[in-house]
Amino acid sequence: MIEKYADLCRANSYELQISSNAKIIEEMLEAENFDIILLDNDMPEGFCTNIVKSLKPVMEKSGILLLTDKNEIPKELLKSINAFIPKDFTDDLILSALNINLRMKGSLQKLANTNKDLAASLYRQNTLYSISSQFAGTLDKSQLLEFMIEGLDKALSFSLTCTLSFCTEDEPVLILNSLYEISDELLNAIKLRTVYNYRALFDGKCAPFELNENTLKVIKTVKYPASRFNFTLFQFDNMFAPIALGENFYGCVEIFKEAHFSAEDAKCFQTIAQQVALPLRNATLYQEIIETNKKLERLEKLKSEFISIVSHELRTPLTSIKNSLDILLSGKCGDLTEASSKFLTMAKRNAARLSGIINDLLDISKIEAGKMDFHFKPVRIQTVIEYVKSALSGLAKEKSLEVVIREGEQLPEVNADSQRLEQVLTNLLSNAIKFTPEGRRITIKSELLNATDIKAHPCFEETIKKLRGNYVVVSVEDEGIGIAENELLHAFDKFAQIENSLSRKVGGSGLGLPIAKQLLDAHNGAIWCDSELNRGSAFRFALPVDVTAIEKEKVLSIN
Amino acid sequence: MESMKKILIVDDETDIVESLKFVLDASGYSCYTAFNGEDGLKLAKELVPDLMILDVMMPKINGYKISRLLKYDNKYKNIPILMITARSQEEDKLIGEETGADEYITKPFDLDDVLKTVDKYLKKED
Repeated sequence: MIEKYADLCRANSYELQISSNAKIIEEMLEAENFDIILLDNDMPEGFCTNIVKSLKPVMEKSGILLLTDKNEIPKELLKSINAFIPKDFTDDLILSALNINLRMKGSLQKLANTNKDLAASLYRQNTLYSISSQFAGTLDKSQLLEFMIEGLDKALSFSLTCTLSFCTEDEPVLILNSLYEISDELLNAIKLRTVYNYRALFDGKCAPFELNENTLKVIKTVKYPASRFNFTLFQFDNMFAPIALGENFYGCVEIFKEAHFSAEDAKCFQTIAQQVALPLRNATLYQEIIETNKKLERLEKLKSEFISIVSHELRTPLTSIKNSLDILLSGKCGDLTEASSKFLTMAKRNAARLSGIINDLLDISKIEAGKMDFHFKPVRIQTVIEYVKSALSGLAKEKSLEVVIREGEQLPEVNADSQRLEQVLTNLLSNAIKFTPEGRRITIKSELLNATDIKAHPCFEETIKKLRGNYVVVSVEDEGIGIAENELLHAFDKFAQIENSLSRKVGGSGLGLPIAKQLLDAHNGAIWCDSELNRGSAFRFALPVDVTAIEKEKVLSIN
Repeated sequence: MESMKKILIVDDETDIVESLKFVLDASGYSCYTAFNGEDGLKLAKELVPDLMILDVMMPKINGYKISRLLKYDNKYKNIPILMITARSQEEDKLIGEETGADEYITKPFDLDDVLKTVDKYLKKED
């Protein structure tokens, strides 16, 4: 009977193996994949039901056709078989049953393959996605390369990756991530190969970095150090890609795998190598910004020191000049003509101006270097105002200016360095005197205000915003030339003396107001100004009320 | 005639020494000068002046050191000392040390102010 099928198969060029021995069938099924298994039901009792056990593992891969003319078929068998072929079928019918089953099996196989590809592709997409989010999360270049290698492992499961990096350390580094241990000889060969690959990238043109295989630094990570690779490694399938973005070159990466890489693997590899370049550039830019900032800070400090040294060196010769002029002007060296007296006075006035500028420069450099000492104690602001008014009364008188003090009632003390306050107020008052035409009036006002009641020009909103609680506010109001609105914002900038012919004429270092601002910052206060062109300016500063003093007073009044 | 008060000026800046000497001489004081700390200290001990004007920054022995050495010595501790300072960074480093100076004059100073200060110490006995 079985011979009939054998002939039929051979005639249609199907390969065929025949056996009636259960043991041999089992071995055959283990060794080979069969597309179709023809099972004769007309075997000794129980043979077929027994054979089904060995068929179980192959049931998904192979179609099982049962040849039978019995009407009763054991239930075990019914579950496993794909079709019945009655024994009295004609050859054509048998053949068509075989063909149909074969075709169906082929379709199923194709479907399964497509499914597998889809799953692999989905997995790769997920990996790529997770790598990109990892890339976006760091500005550390070594970590970026680690993420890249991790990603390659997840997506392609490599045997070895050789990453040549020019961007993570001062020198080029070869980062090896290997499944197995690498001997020194193999390592040398890998280094040579990497250097060759790198040079080949630039095709005879000058490569962006020097690279020498003898001095190349290597960082090696081995997953299973118990085993080792030999030179057959170079017969593995491999892929190579530069890590670069436009003209920025960061390194290159080569990947080895014992199995073959598919076209999709290649695409995935290129994508990952390309993807890491952008965050590497961002990280490089970020690092450059940090370094530039550090350099700027260093320069700023150097500048302060320079100013301090220069100012000191200027003082000594200036002293000699001043002294000589003083002696000549005193008449101790003989009588002076009116003209020589006039010019000596001019020289003396300018020497004094120069010394003022040097003092300002020294102050600002000291404040900026954090070296200015402050001696805080409770201060009555009225005392400071009166002192400064009397110190500058000569200057005011020269221009016939009236300086009026309008004192607020019951002003509390402020916690301040009185000398620095005098410096600030002297600066504001002498500015007011300079910029006010002859015969007008200057008012120095002092009042107690809560931060919420302090109003200022919109330019100084930020300045006012930080104030909290109660302040003693001092204003110096003049009837001078005023400051244009667009210049108001820069009134407290260094060297930004508001440019106009008058400011040129009256001179000054351009540092008085910036110094005042810094001094008030040190007092946790604020300084700002209101001004109207040709109507006058009001420079105001606020000092926090000495809270401890108020509490002391309360205690006193309770007692 | 009562002998003139003796003032010792010590500064390595000869121009400054000269202008101080000119003004003080003209006001009836007798001025002695030294141009470095070593000579200044030696002369101070020899002369026992009625007042000293000392520059802070000088080679070898600085003004603070001279002042300190003299003020520790009973023989000289009553000599008033006027210290000339330029507020330099090097000087800042020395600040905080006990100097014993009686007055500080900041460069650039006014000769009139110096004269007034000197008079304050030397003319009160008249």
